[in-house]
Amino acid sequence: MKNQASTATTMQTATVSTTISKPVQLFSAFLLGMVFLYGAGFVQTSAVHNAAHDVRHSLAFPCH
Amino acid sequence: MIFRRIVLYALLVGALSGILLTGVQLLQVIPIIQSAERFEGEPAAAPAAEKAGQAAQAHDHAAHDHGGHEHDADAWAPADGAERTGFTLLSNMLSATGLALLVLAAMVASLRLNAANKLDWRHGLLWGVAGYAAFFVAPALGLPPEIPGAAAAPLESRQAWWLFAVVCTAAGLAGAAFGKSPWRWAFLILLVLPHLVGAPHPHTEMFAGQPPAAAAELTELARQFIGATAIANGALWLTLGLISVWTIPRILTPSD
Repeated sequence: MKNQASTATTMQTATVSTTISKPVQLFSAFLLGMVFLYGAGFVQTSAVHNAAHDVRHSLAFPCH
Repeated sequence: MIFRRIVLYALLVGALSGILLTGVQLLQVIPIIQSAERFEGEPAAAPAAEKAGQAAQAHDHAAHDHGGHEHDADAWAPADGAERTGFTLLSNMLSATGLALLVLAAMVASLRLNAANKLDWRHGLLWGVAGYAAFFVAPALGLPPEIPGAAAAPLESRQAWWLFAVVCTAAGLAGAAFGKSPWRWAFLILLVLPHLVGAPHPHTEMFAGQPPAAAAELTELARQFIGATAIANGALWLTLGLISVWTIPRILTPSD
């Protein structure tokens, strides 16, 4: 039973990796990187700004 | 699935280079920020009307010039000491992971483009230098890294120019490095474009609100800060480039 379940999961994973093309996956990783940088460097909510303050100055992101 | 492996290795690259970056910053960047903050809030506290506007969340940054200071006194901020350092470490790891995602995705894409599957440490250095040029040198040429309290143009226009400089420089370098046409070197014109457009600058002196002695001291701190951030960002990109190259064979498994 357990074996069957894990086989099913493997098959599902295999299906997913063949249906999403490589360029789309690479582009998605790139977009995710931009989201991270936006969060760390550009969001102006005061709490986020204050938490990341020293990093923004240090990385020369426009801060204040 | 290559997306999953890129994300996992980006987290690893981001954590390692974020820790190293925090170490370098604690030695030279952060002490300068703290020295500059001693001058903040002394001359003219933010007008009450401005504070009220921030509290109402209807704050429009573009609509008025802050003169470089806009902290909301009531907002949460990490306490000085371990808490502040902890959030700096976390933010560094988040930023470095974001950069690693961009770099790893671009590295894999460049390998596909050239039908190659190997990168060695020299490629790591080159990618590091390119990242340093695009994300630090190019924007810093127009908008030098600033210490807290310095006057600056409205935030939105600076963020827009920063993004413009980074995208132009990255695209120019990528076009020259990976273009197939003999005219590919023409992409390097993109490196000059943001500086022809020009970065937004304030109309006031950098430390206009300060007495002359303090302004002189702040100007000296601002000068030191440019050197300190140049070194810290160099260390970041060096490690980011080298560790990223090390992960590439692990991301490109034979099963793909």
